[in-house]
Amino acid sequence: MATVARATPEDRRWQDVLEERRFLGPLLIAPAVLFIVALVGLPLGLAIYLSLTDATAGSLTGDFVGFQNYLDAWDSENFRVALRNTIVFTLVSQAIVLVGAGLLAHALVRNFRGRWFFRFLILLPWAAPVALSTVGFLWIFHSLYSVVNWTLIHDILPGGGEFYPYRAVNWAFARDFWPAAIQISPIEPIDPPQWLGEPTLAKAAIIAVHAWRILPFATVIFIAGLASMPPEIEDAAKVDGATGLRKFWYVTLPLQLPIATVALLFGIVFTATDMTVVYVLTHGGPFNSTHVLTTWAFDTGINSAALGQGAAISLYLLPALALVAILMLRFARRVEVT
Amino acid sequence: MKDRRERVDISKVDDELTRRDLLRRAALGGIVLVYGGTGAKTAVAGVPKFRHRQHAGTLRIIQWSHFVPAYDRWFDDVYVKRWGDANDTEVRVDHVNLAELPSRAASEVAAQSGHDLFQFLSPPAAYEDRVIALNDVVQQVERKVGKISRVGRRSTYNPRTRKYFGFADNYVPDPVHYRADLWSEVGLRPTTWENIRRAAPRLKAMGNPIGIGMSNELDSNMALIALLQCFGAYIQSPDARITIRSKGTRDALNFMRDLYRRGMTSEVFAWTASSNNDAFLAGRLSLALNAISIARSAEQRNLRFNRDIRILPIPDGPGPRMGLEHVMGVYVIWKFAQNKRAAKKFLVDIGTQYTGHFLNSYFYNFPAFPGSVKRIPARLRRNTSYPNEVPGRYPILDQISKKWTTNVGHPGYSNAAIDEVFNKFIIPQMFARVARGDMSADEAMRAAHREMTPIFRKWRARRKI
Amino acid sequence: MRRRDSVLTYATVAPFAIVLAFPFYWMLMTALRADNDLYDIEQVPYKFNAGSPTSANFRFLFEQTDYRQWLQNTALVGLAVVVITLVLALPAGYALARLSGRAGQSLGVGIFLTYLVPPTLLFLPLSRVIAELNLSDRLWSLILVYPSFTVPFSIWLLMGFFKTIPPELEDAALVDGASRLGALARVVFPLSIPGILTVVIFTFSLVVNEFVYAITFISSSEVKTISAGVPTELIRGDVFYWGALMAATLIPAIPLALLYNLFLNRFIAGFTGGAFR
Repeated sequence: MATVARATPEDRRWQDVLEERRFLGPLLIAPAVLFIVALVGLPLGLAIYLSLTDATAGSLTGDFVGFQNYLDAWDSENFRVALRNTIVFTLVSQAIVLVGAGLLAHALVRNFRGRWFFRFLILLPWAAPVALSTVGFLWIFHSLYSVVNWTLIHDILPGGGEFYPYRAVNWAFARDFWPAAIQISPIEPIDPPQWLGEPTLAKAAIIAVHAWRILPFATVIFIAGLASMPPEIEDAAKVDGATGLRKFWYVTLPLQLPIATVALLFGIVFTATDMTVVYVLTHGGPFNSTHVLTTWAFDTGINSAALGQGAAISLYLLPALALVAILMLRFARRVEVT
Repeated sequence: MKDRRERVDISKVDDELTRRDLLRRAALGGIVLVYGGTGAKTAVAGVPKFRHRQHAGTLRIIQWSHFVPAYDRWFDDVYVKRWGDANDTEVRVDHVNLAELPSRAASEVAAQSGHDLFQFLSPPAAYEDRVIALNDVVQQVERKVGKISRVGRRSTYNPRTRKYFGFADNYVPDPVHYRADLWSEVGLRPTTWENIRRAAPRLKAMGNPIGIGMSNELDSNMALIALLQCFGAYIQSPDARITIRSKGTRDALNFMRDLYRRGMTSEVFAWTASSNNDAFLAGRLSLALNAISIARSAEQRNLRFNRDIRILPIPDGPGPRMGLEHVMGVYVIWKFAQNKRAAKKFLVDIGTQYTGHFLNSYFYNFPAFPGSVKRIPARLRRNTSYPNEVPGRYPILDQISKKWTTNVGHPGYSNAAIDEVFNKFIIPQMFARVARGDMSADEAMRAAHREMTPIFRKWRARRKI
Repeated sequence: MRRRDSVLTYATVAPFAIVLAFPFYWMLMTALRADNDLYDIEQVPYKFNAGSPTSANFRFLFEQTDYRQWLQNTALVGLAVVVITLVLALPAGYALARLSGRAGQSLGVGIFLTYLVPPTLLFLPLSRVIAELNLSDRLWSLILVYPSFTVPFSIWLLMGFFKTIPPELEDAALVDGASRLGALARVVFPLSIPGILTVVIFTFSLVVNEFVYAITFISSSEVKTISAGVPTELIRGDVFYWGALMAATLIPAIPLALLYNLFLNRFIAGFTGGAFR
């Protein structure tokens, strides 16, 4: 009894602290912030320092060289290609994802037979480890065993129906009628399209894989957004006679904007900071035309041991990404508030 | 509780303790074990300790997952165990995929901890300041079995600092594989580059193109640098000055463009290191440059054209005939290694007696010290236990390794600048641009020179070349 | 009208489902093939030919490699990281949501920004940290480091969820005599189950996907995760074990997708049916 009595003032003081918002807030935030500072902030600081030195071969120290690494990186043609690719891959794949996720989410919130199964199929890409599923695409786009090419150049109608898909593709696209960007040179069965060996196709393949792996995630976010939409608004729209496209444009879209922004932001981050897809699919090839900043930084900093320069290349991306993220988060919030 | 325990036998108690230990650990980390099972314990607590006799020291080795799985089994379970018992050392071998070696190496250096022996598969010149010089190890081995091969020395020695930054235990020859059945229809053999160009259109028309990669991968790099050499063109001079802009390079580029148009398909731009194997083994290619993994896989799968696969040295060209190693096993000992003494002893032993490695890798690994395997020609003539091995296929490797194999960076050394040029795929990039007609040979040569200049300048400023 | 709607729905969903799931169908076809069938370009790849289908690739994975162990390790790391992430992110997300004014928002954004730093930039400095802590070659190294990319994301996500919970609910609990932490634990957290589930799913999936730290912190086969172990054993020099590789990808993907699907249902229902919006 006595011990308890003596301890009580102590306890009370602690409880007061815990009741006080001024203290409780920081107390709750502190562990996470400390953790992040220790495991991201400090290493990032070290990486920035490395980018200003001539460090090589795994060493975490070097002589200070100012911004030389950044200038050297910029001078390399391969770097500029990588920078452009990073931007293009990110924007194009996310445009595809946004449209796809929007359509899919609208369909998936409805009740229909087999919805559970369809949703399972759609979630699959998100469930596979990306390093391994990209190897799967390496197989699908294989220079020889590609199933895409097999399907293109073989008679796919059972019983000798004489339907060769590549002929249809040639008929449709190998025409002077098209502008150069769309027109293709005719596909020949002996030399089918090399999905990872032709710069344009390889870029398309990389974009496709990115879109493929991010689409499920974006769809889920979109579904959550749609599901949280108050039914009153839906009813109000009905009363006002808004249907179809008009309803989508004036009612659904504005309400979906914040959540779409969030999905887009994650998509951008996933694509722009990813190394695996490009590294596994093309390793920057054909002839260094599909490098992105992460792979070029890796080939420079790790595989070629020019560590300082590799760090500089990686860091080019960060301010731009941060700016995009801040703008998008503020936008999402503003829309939410109004 | 106590009573119960007295009745159970010792092994059960042990079992129970471990399970408890496991639960305690799990609770500690707040982990729910869904899978359960005994594996979880080793997973959380780290490596399981073997319960046999404890050795005095430990030695940790990391190297690639060898192309021949049986070699890894022999190395890990037989060779290393025997060596450990003889030297009173507990040896642990870890394997990684060869593409992961560079990031693994960088992180070990950054961490200042890791394995005592780290085996690279290309000369790691950039790591010179992070490793101990191995001049004494090389000398010891040379005293016992004679001089190191030229390719071994040129890949691991830095003449500027007079250091052996690594110890080459093996290298892998990079011969030409061709299909004798297809080539005989054309009536030629790929002994010269000119023959290949002449045969190419007809081989392609038969549906069997030539397969020399121009992609961002190892095999392309090796084949194309070898092709340059055969045209008398080199990346650098003996004193490490860039020499890529030359008549030889222009000729090689134009030759390759011609060969591509006449006898290859665009698949060569899409390849990974495995693609030429895949395409050759599928019966598509009539020729490829690769380590003997192609021939060995054909044997293992007992392909219908297994017997028609032949091996030849690098073809002759207008310049001196000279091919490259395919990969180069180079051990280094980090400065921070815990057990340098044992590591050095291990290297001396492996360098002195390489016969077991040579045989258990089924002639894939060639000794960097030729004297460490006696009677190589005789051994190559004898059959191994490899399934469906074709007799008489491999003796040519002896000549290839002795006469026609040099290091990347020939006629200079495999220095850090060469390594960077190699890892940035500047040579395949140069060839591909010309072959596709995106650039003229002169433009591509100039572009390659532009990319190489800062690389060489940087490493020269660091006094490594 | 309804009929047209459902046709439209199938017409939208089916093509997407086919495109998204096709690679997995193809992985299955590849994984079930015998080598001689797989590598024969004359054969029709859509059907099984001589020697196929076979379980050889699956047997190889489970009998000749440490695959089972890698699965276990991945699951273990995933669960541990989920727990740590929740412990760190729940309080922080709550506090940030309730912090009045700009400060909370800015801090939230600041924390989110750390998510943008790619592992390729951090793995070298971090491997030093891991070595200093004596965690090299242990799963603990991954359990420690992975929250560095799951926590920022989770805090930010939970912050949003907590904002949808009206502070009046807590105030009511406070009036009833609960402490602030008590109100948090008894009133707020139960209401944020959907948010927590989201965090759990995405944390787990990020862990399964991670690759760079896994190959650099760990070198012993018994301690590897799937993403790190599979390439080591199944890509040997210039030979890919295609069949086994595809099997190795399928095995974790299918149960995980089922699991995600199961949870997905709940968490969507959770906040559409919830009393508060």
